[in-house]
Order: sequence, then C-alpha cells, then structure tokens
Amino acid sequence: MIHLTDELLNEYLDHELADRAPVENHLAACADCAARLAALKALFTELESLPELELTHSLAARFLPDPVPTPQLPRWLTLTACLQAALALTVIMAAAPFVTNLLPAIKTPSITEILNQLQSLWIAWLDFLSSFSLPAIPQFPPIEISSLVLSLILAGVSLLWLVGNGLFLKNQIK
Amino acid sequence: MDAPTDRDLILRARRGDAEAFGELVTRYQASVFNVCYRMTHERREAEDLAQETFLRAHSRLGTFDIQREFGPWIRRVAANLCLNRLEAQRPVSELDDERDADPTQSPEAALEVRERSEQIRGALASLPAQYRAVIELRHYQELSYNEISAELNLPLSGVKSHLFRARKLLAERLK
Repeated sequence: MIHLTDELLNEYLDHELADRAPVENHLAACADCAARLAALKALFTELESLPELELTHSLAARFLPDPVPTPQLPRWLTLTACLQAALALTVIMAAAPFVTNLLPAIKTPSITEILNQLQSLWIAWLDFLSSFSLPAIPQFPPIEISSLVLSLILAGVSLLWLVGNGLFLKNQIK
Repeated sequence: MDAPTDRDLILRARRGDAEAFGELVTRYQASVFNVCYRMTHERREAEDLAQETFLRAHSRLGTFDIQREFGPWIRRVAANLCLNRLEAQRPVSELDDERDADPTQSPEAALEVRERSEQIRGALASLPAQYRAVIELRHYQELSYNEISAELNLPLSGVKSHLFRARKLLAERLK
C-alpha cells in the first residue's frame, strides 16, 4: 500500500485540500497513516494551546498626551487657609448668641413695602421712556453715483476679496 | 454608552486624537505582545517590538484600509516586524526565563503546564526565523497558505515546505 506523504497530511489538517475524500478513504483503511495524522494533530493542539502571557506594563502610555498637572498650592498657604476657616467658624459660633439678641432690633422692610417700591420704580421708568426721543440726525447731501460706477466698484471689491482670500489660504493648502 | 468601535477610534486617531489611538493600543497590546513573544521568546525584546509595532501602525494609519479589521492587521505587522528583526540578528538571542503561569491551577499542574509551555516556546525559538513566521501566521493568526504567501512575499510552494519542515523540527524537538 502506498502511504500518504507528510505534505498531504499537513495540507489535509490545514484544510488546504480541495478534495479531501481520497485522503479520508485512505486514513480509514491505513492505521500507519492514521497514527501519523494523530501525531501531527497532537502537535497542532500543543502549539495552539500555548497560554498567552500578560504584559508587565501598558504600552498605551507612550501614545497618550501628558496629563495636565493640577496646580498645587504651597503647603503653608493651605495651612493658613485652614486655620483662617477654623478661626472664622469659632468666631461665628461664639458670636451667635449676641447676634440673636440684636436681630429683633433691626427693622427689615416687609414684602409689601418692597413690592411697592419696585412698582414706583417701574412707573418712573415707563414715564421716562414715554418722554424719550432720539436726537435729530444731521442730513447729508445726496451722492449721485451712476449704476455703471456702482457695478465697477462692486466688481473691484469682489476681485480684491477673492485675491486676498486666495493669498491667505495659499499656505494652508500647501 | 457603547464602547467606540475600532473603526471610530481609527478615524479619531487619524484626526490626531491621541487618546483614541491609546485606546486601540490598550485593546490590542496583549495579543501583539504575544505574537512578538512567540517569535522572540524574550520578554524585553517582545515588549520593544510590540511598542515598535504600534509606532509603525500609528505612522501608517493614514493609509490603513478602514474596511479591514484592525486586530488581524496589527498582528501581521507585528509578525513581519519580528521576522525582519530576527533575520537581521541571525544568532538566536538568549532565551528568556519567563514562565507561563496560571494562578487558577494547582501548583503541580501549573508547574507541568509551565514546563511544557516552556519546551514549546524553546522549540519555537530554535527554529529559523522564516519557519517561526509561518508557524505564527498559520497556527496563531489562522492565515491560509495563500495569505501567508502574500504576507511574507514567498511562493506558495515555499510556504508549504516551510510549514512542513518547521512542524517536523518541532515534533522532533518536542518528543
């Protein structure tokens, strides 16, 4: 019996054979070739079961922009601010009973009074607006321009605009 | 919110968005590193090559065909880069003492797997560079003979003979 070549077995396992039937028929009848195929298959399995390793560090850092450092206040300034806050809190707590005694003596306007004041301000504003008039605009003598001159001016300005933009964008397009 | 697709990230990276490319690197760095490690069997070198692969990819992003998948493409770039490096070096570099560890296995089983993995990696590292490349592209990147031929610029017959010989050598060394 003629055995299958190693090349044929490799191509069979790699699914590169157009016609697999002749090889399969031979393998069914030949124990030697079936054993060679099994050994090759075992090698495939071993190779493909190789575990993946992990990286010890990320490779992405190199491609990321440097993080913007957050401004750090000097330590003495932070401490001073904390002390000030604590001091202010203590003073407020100590002064609270005295302030509570003084509060009734302060006269605060009622909501009705505030609304009345707002209403009178609004009426005064409306009065001002009703009597307001713009200052007279001085009259200029009329300028006579023929339609031809006007067209020429418009064409010239458009041309200048196009040339100017072209020059401005030339470097960017490059 | 759904994570952006590779395609979105590539388009953003092309417009200069460094964070988008950083995200692509994060997604594929492990697989690219493993390609390089299988090819070189040396951790430091594999990390350098993986980094270089991403640098190369970054510079070629403008010409990358957006219809293709990024993962397979970057792994092929890595395999080619490793092949070029190995061919330039020629003498086989000193093998790494890295071990394959799986924390979920028992110590004895883990040791057994580590030893066998190490033998396989050692056997792979002992192959000529071209043989390593065809094994990498066929077994780990699942390319067809025609695709390997195009990728390595080898005739089809060369791909077949490289694969058969590489496997024969591996089988002998792993007995």
